[in-house]
Amino acid sequence: MHGEYKMPGGKLIVVDLGIENGCLANVQVSGDFFLEPDDALHAIDAALEGHGAGAEEHVLAAAVRARLAPGVMMYGISPEAIAIAVRRAIDQGAHA
Amino acid sequence: MTRTRWRDHDWRLVHTAPQSPALHMALDEVLTHAVGAGHRPPTLRIWEWAAPAVVIGRFQSLRNEVDAEAARRHGIEVVRRVSGGGAMFIEPGNTITWSICAPLSLIKDMSFQQAYAWMDAWTLEALGELGIKAWYQPLNDITSEGGKIAGAAQAHRGGAVLHHVTMAYDIDAAKMLEVLRIGREKLSDKGTQSAGKRVDPLRSQTGLSRAAIIEHMIATFRRLHGLADDTLRADELAQAETLAREKFSTAAWTADVP
Repeated sequence: MHGEYKMPGGKLIVVDLGIENGCLANVQVSGDFFLEPDDALHAIDAALEGHGAGAEEHVLAAAVRARLAPGVMMYGISPEAIAIAVRRAIDQGAHA
Repeated sequence: MTRTRWRDHDWRLVHTAPQSPALHMALDEVLTHAVGAGHRPPTLRIWEWAAPAVVIGRFQSLRNEVDAEAARRHGIEVVRRVSGGGAMFIEPGNTITWSICAPLSLIKDMSFQQAYAWMDAWTLEALGELGIKAWYQPLNDITSEGGKIAGAAQAHRGGAVLHHVTMAYDIDAAKMLEVLRIGREKLSDKGTQSAGKRVDPLRSQTGLSRAAIIEHMIATFRRLHGLADDTLRADELAQAETLAREKFSTAAWTADVP
């Protein structure tokens, strides 16, 4: 399942994921945004893994925010924008 | 650490014979670390390309961004760079690309947006002197009345900032769209409303050769910030060749975000 969200004033955030037993699996966030340090991307993917497919945006955003190490810098991307892209992947995938 | 000004640094120019795409990726990493460690003065490196390439951003998905079969058909190497941002389609002669490797002190306490504007200011001046009214378009573009001219990307590594920029000189948009999977909504950003057009903002707006534009940009940087001619040291090149082979040419790196 695949979702995209262009953050207003930001960059494109792309999410590919599967759903196994009602939970998010193999979540991959990608896009043309900027993150420092670069390994923060793996932390973001890990933070989303295993959430229920019904999880609301604010829950997903909080999960991402909680997993980010202090000092991680985001440019053109935010936990809220990631959460929107995840919801789009789930919801559009469900209708596909 | 206090903020430094451009003129506080002994800027060096590296502009070598064409090199492979993977070696360019490796040189960015090696030279940025060398500047951060104080082993090399801050450096402006102009890229010359030995082969066509697609260069994807650090966080882009390989399969989402690149049509691998089309890339193979056109003999285009796909590499992943160390900085974020979007995919670039490179054929030797179709773009003008450079990297600035500088100590982090040059952008100390700046927001990302301020740092991009600061690192691009000399470029806007150089373009203005060539008759192109260009400006920094947040987050990371340089644009003009004739549309987008360039994209920039920054990465922080080992105490230094890498700021690299690719300007479109004369791009075959049809081939670019075969190889890059660019969504319809992104096309307006790229200045390519319809396939088959050339994206040639610099060539059409200046009437100058690519080499003449590069020469002018080097002169502008030299005048504004000071710049001494330099070359890659043997150990830097050797380190970059190893890194090109063992990291930037490997599927593990290129497909790090599959």
